[in-house]
Amino acid sequence: MLKTLLKPFAKVFEFQAKTHYRAERHSMALTFGIILAASVGGFVEIAPLFTIDDTVEIDPDMRLYTPLEQAGRDIYIREGCYACHSQMIRTLRDEVERYGPYSLAVESQYDHPMLWGSKRTGPDLARIGEKYSDDWQVRHLVDPRALVPESVMPHYASLLDAKLRLDDLPDRLWALRAVGVPYSDDMIEHASDDAVGQAQPDSDRADGVISRYGDATAVRMFDGRSDRVTEMDALVAYLQILGRLTDLPAQLQPLAKE
Amino acid sequence: MMSNLTGAERARAMLITGIGALIGLIMAVAGRNDVMGAHGWIVLLFCGVLFFVVGNALYNHEPDEDRAASYYDDPTKVGIILTLIWAIVGMGMGVWVASQLAWPDLRFDAPWSSFGRIRPVHTSGVIFGFGGNALIATSFHIMQRTCRARMPDQVTPWFVLLGFNLFCIIAASGYLMGVTQSKEYAEPEWYADIWLVVVWVVYFVLYIRTLARRNEPHIYVANWYYLAFILVVAILHIVNNLAVPASFSGAKSYSAFSGVQDAMTQWWYGHNAVAFFLTSGFLGMLYYFLPKRAGRPIYSYRLSILSFWGITFFYIWAGSHHLHYTALPHWVQTLGMTFSVMLLIPSWASAGNALMTLNGAWHKVRDDATLRFMMVAAVFYGLSTFEGSFMAIRPVNALSHYTDWTIGHVHAGAMGWVALITFGSIYALTPVLWRRETMYSWKAVEWHFWLALAGTVIYVFAMWNSGITQGLMWRTYTEGGALRFSFTDTLIAMHPYYIARTFGGLLFLIGACIGFWNVIMTIRHVPELEPDLDYPTPTKALEPALPAAE
Amino acid sequence: MSVKDRDPLTGHQTTGHEWNGITELNTRVPRAVWFFIILTHIWALVMWVLLPSWPLVTTYTKGILGLDQRVEVEEKIIAANMGRSAWADRIAVLPASEILGDPAMMTQLNGTAHQLFGDNCAGCHGRLADGGPGFPSLVDGAWLWGGDTESIMETLRVGINATHPDTRWAQMLAFGRDGILPREDIRTVVDYVQSLSGEVAQADTIAAGSEIFADNCASCHGDSGAGNTDVGAPDLTDDFWIYGGDDESMFTTIWEGRQGWMPAWEGRMTETERKVLAVYLQGLGQEVAQ
Ligand code: HEC
Ligand code: HEC
Ligand code: HEC
Ligand code: HEM
Ligand code: HEM
Ligand SMILES: [Ca+2]
Ligand SMILES: [Ca+2]
Ligand SMILES: [Cu+2]
Repeated sequence: MLKTLLKPFAKVFEFQAKTHYRAERHSMALTFGIILAASVGGFVEIAPLFTIDDTVEIDPDMRLYTPLEQAGRDIYIREGCYACHSQMIRTLRDEVERYGPYSLAVESQYDHPMLWGSKRTGPDLARIGEKYSDDWQVRHLVDPRALVPESVMPHYASLLDAKLRLDDLPDRLWALRAVGVPYSDDMIEHASDDAVGQAQPDSDRADGVISRYGDATAVRMFDGRSDRVTEMDALVAYLQILGRLTDLPAQLQPLAKE
Repeated sequence: MMSNLTGAERARAMLITGIGALIGLIMAVAGRNDVMGAHGWIVLLFCGVLFFVVGNALYNHEPDEDRAASYYDDPTKVGIILTLIWAIVGMGMGVWVASQLAWPDLRFDAPWSSFGRIRPVHTSGVIFGFGGNALIATSFHIMQRTCRARMPDQVTPWFVLLGFNLFCIIAASGYLMGVTQSKEYAEPEWYADIWLVVVWVVYFVLYIRTLARRNEPHIYVANWYYLAFILVVAILHIVNNLAVPASFSGAKSYSAFSGVQDAMTQWWYGHNAVAFFLTSGFLGMLYYFLPKRAGRPIYSYRLSILSFWGITFFYIWAGSHHLHYTALPHWVQTLGMTFSVMLLIPSWASAGNALMTLNGAWHKVRDDATLRFMMVAAVFYGLSTFEGSFMAIRPVNALSHYTDWTIGHVHAGAMGWVALITFGSIYALTPVLWRRETMYSWKAVEWHFWLALAGTVIYVFAMWNSGITQGLMWRTYTEGGALRFSFTDTLIAMHPYYIARTFGGLLFLIGACIGFWNVIMTIRHVPELEPDLDYPTPTKALEPALPAAE
Repeated sequence: MSVKDRDPLTGHQTTGHEWNGITELNTRVPRAVWFFIILTHIWALVMWVLLPSWPLVTTYTKGILGLDQRVEVEEKIIAANMGRSAWADRIAVLPASEILGDPAMMTQLNGTAHQLFGDNCAGCHGRLADGGPGFPSLVDGAWLWGGDTESIMETLRVGINATHPDTRWAQMLAFGRDGILPREDIRTVVDYVQSLSGEVAQADTIAAGSEIFADNCASCHGDSGAGNTDVGAPDLTDDFWIYGGDDESMFTTIWEGRQGWMPAWEGRMTETERKVLAVYLQGLGQEVAQ
């Protein structure tokens, strides 16, 4: 029974082996064979992600990262927070119950690159925005074990003393626009001012941030001081926007727990 | 070593390193307000030193060696030493990374030493530094031997080897300074990525040119695997690293893709970095050194064909198993899951082919630790691919993903397979390369073997335990249907396993140090010996009268 | 080499080639390999038929089971809510005193609250809810906004100085920094406040302090300093301090002012969950008090 079932396969393979025996005498035959065999899968899985409509949900009200938040995101990358923290709540009951509505594709639509992560040494951060106070975030980053004695997270106290670099923010926004984030000329031009304004609510630059990025933008002294803009300001501003760029997850999953 | 280069070759090397130094200077000046500037200085220093080393020997007398009658092994020798240095750096970093999770304040309070910055130094250090150098060095050796032909010239192999190490240095130093694209296993920034493309193209050309000179009608299986390694890594690297730099005077760049598409591209790359860097290349190594050491023919040529093409075709599809239950559409996840399971058979076929080759040589496995390294590597290869296919099944991944189970799987593959096959190959290769009778101390090889095996087993068991514990704790419910444990509860449960893992890693590291010592002692103290047959044959081998496969 | 070469050990033919001493046998692919290839392929085929799998330019095959991960998890969560409703509904309607008096219910409730508190509150209030510098203890019986179930639930719903539109708002003025009181007076009133919780102080300090207190502080903290749960002003006569009762901490409190930030949990937690936590805290308080 098995034998007869296997026969056609064996025949095909026998033919293949013979062809192979001839082909393996030519390095270019091998080269093209390898390229061909190794290209199919990637093409079939990646290309349709750009063409199938419901791959990414559409939300016209999706917010952009402000320059300060984007700078914070760059610091998050620089420090390797993604090595311990995911930003992706999976469609599993326990994750939704622990962290909140499962993550949608649209939420990372403007994330170049995405920071979904692959290891959860620390908790997921997809919905950490406004879960804690700025003060808590700062204190936690300065000394995690002071607040959570069991924590294995490194401290980042030096961010509090590091002045945020502002001069390259227009370049950064420009590059992001080049890869598809719809920043306007106005936003790019004022990127440095807006970063300062968002961290200094009393300054006259604060209004510009609101007018360019919307009323919902958090304009606060994230690191607790208004005299200067630090990397801590940027990182906390970023943490506080996580999960809050769009309301879509909450709208689509109102049932989550009620 | 310089004396083996002709005057023209030395001049060419000077030109190349001179251009490199100039590029370094340009980077240093353009990037003076950015960390890129520091990389410019590193490039300048690296190329500058080489420039002077070559320049110093520029007018030495011409080599008198008969090139047609020998293989070119100098780059291989340097490559093997670099492999061992990177092994100690990378695994030393691994032990440090591991101990930071057990004792988080075990660092110098400096920004560069935080977990997030040194972890990629470990991963890149072992994968690219250790693994990459091992692959390049052994490929130089194997392609010449199995082609019975010398490499076409003497500058390109150096360019490939040293250029690749420059890439590794830029990568590792960059992470410490906070230069990273955050894409796992592709973290280096745009200029390092571009440099690697250059090195890789030269590598491919060198490989193809050597194959073209071969005196053997057929290309041996090991070369198929190395070729797949070189080609597919190039494709993956170029696509996944597409990015737009914020400026040409700074390191920062932004990925061309975003969100789901970026995630899929990243894991298409990430998974196949495993497939074509950590698997395909090392299978090439296995296919040469194992039969050679065992003195047995490969068990089945047909099985080789089946597993080679199976691996090449199926692996590519499996990347989406890193994204189960995420915002990646469900259909891609199904494809990733099914192809990962179908992939198991070709994977096992190659492990089985290796183990069956040992039939008739098991007594050697018992007596010879070098062969035992290779045998155990094949077993771990089979184990980790089985585990991988199992973890790729969606409901299993629901439990394993994000936990230490993944880390356990990684190290079953990385330590048990990649590192063990490399060490076995190095022990087989060192006496041949340096024309020595044997290794300096067979007892030390024996010690290394048992330390490595014990270290791997402790590491992997600790991580299986912690991973499954953590995964289960995350989803444990009370009778009333509420989550039972907070995240902090799981941190407390992980602590003992993190200590055990550090201990296992330390054993493994000690083994690697012993290996390094043993190789150095072999080179310095073991008497020379001319091997029976280790030179290119000028005559072409003929096709057998009636080829078996036809 | 010629094709007639055979491996003496197995008797299999070689392929006739030799690479630097390595030869290959031309052994057939073992049956088991074919068998498992077919098995895994059949399995994959079945999966493709059942589940969403193959892309088709602008859409993809949906699979005959019609499954989708999002629908699946939403159904599971609805089912879980139904499963919990039996006791969750009772918690929602019963008064706290009754729940607190029922050991079976309390076991259930504490089991639920452990994770809720651990993942959401412990970062500030500590794993044992006993507070920390800047974060009040929740088990000391000294409540800023009242310790009955409704008050606690309201605090949880809207937070304190948080972003919720109805948030509780409480601010301790910066008497020193804003120039309301001179340094001397603040030192005096610190000594006075400390005397309220039993520390000895000189009679004239107390006299001067009580006057400053009555003029500046009593409006919030009450004439006797016993606090006011309407404005979230803490009781200064007990021995519990959020920011510390020593000279330096208290001076800083009065010089710079304080404005603690307690997040609002409406939107992150259901009403039942907030009640679970409120009752849990009351239960913890009782335990600690004993
Ligand atoms: C070594 C791993 C590690 C690294 C690296 C790390 N963290 Fe953490 N993080 C943890 C752990 C463990 C916890 C849980 C314990 C705690 O709250 O400290 C945590 C908790 C957090 C929390 C609180 C989450 C919650 O829901 O309670 C935030 C926010 C956070 N980390 C942000 C960061 C940022 C930002 C970085 C990088 C600058 C970072 N982490 C780097 C391990 C890490
Ligand atoms: C970001 C830190 C933070 C987190 C997280 C937090 N709290 Fe608070 N909580 C505070 C602070 C600060 C206060 C005191 C506010 C003040 O000083 O006015 C407070 C006050 C309270 C109060 C009022 C105490 C009283 O005496 O009236 C209750 C009750 C409370 N928290 C419970 C909780 C619970 C339950 C949770 C979790 C669901 C929680 N808190 C999470 C910071 C936090
Ligand atoms: C506008 C109302 C208001 C006035 C006036 C006021 N307080 Fe307060 N006080 C508060 C509030 C609200 C808090 C709690 C702040 C917090 O927890 O973030 C507080 C906290 C305190 C604390 C810290 C308690 C602790 O547990 O650490 C002290 C001490 C204190 N006040 C003393 C005074 C003194 C002395 C004065 C007069 C000089 C005064 N307060 C005037 C509202 C007021
Ligand atoms: C001395 C032995 C080693 C030790 C102590 C060690 C330790 C570690 C630690 C602590 C991590 C981080 C895990 C986490 O984030 O939780 C890690 C990750 C990793 N290591 Fe190692 N390691 C060792 C050897 C190796 C070797 C030899 C390789 C490869 C050839 C390797 C490849 C990796 C990879 C790829 C990761 C990333 C895994 C992931 O992101 O899922 N390691 N290692
Ligand atoms: C049939 C072969 C294999 C399959 C199907 C497979 C499958 C998997 C799966 C399912 C994961 C977990 C993904 C996740 O949940 O995040 C994973 C992770 C990993 N595997 Fe394998 N695996 C295979 C072989 C190997 C081998 C031989 C190695 C050798 C080193 C290896 C190295 C890794 C690494 C480094 C990761 C971690 C990736 C990351 O998250 O950073 N795998 N693999
Ligand atoms: Ca990873
Ligand atoms: Ca890169
Ligand atoms: Cu994978």
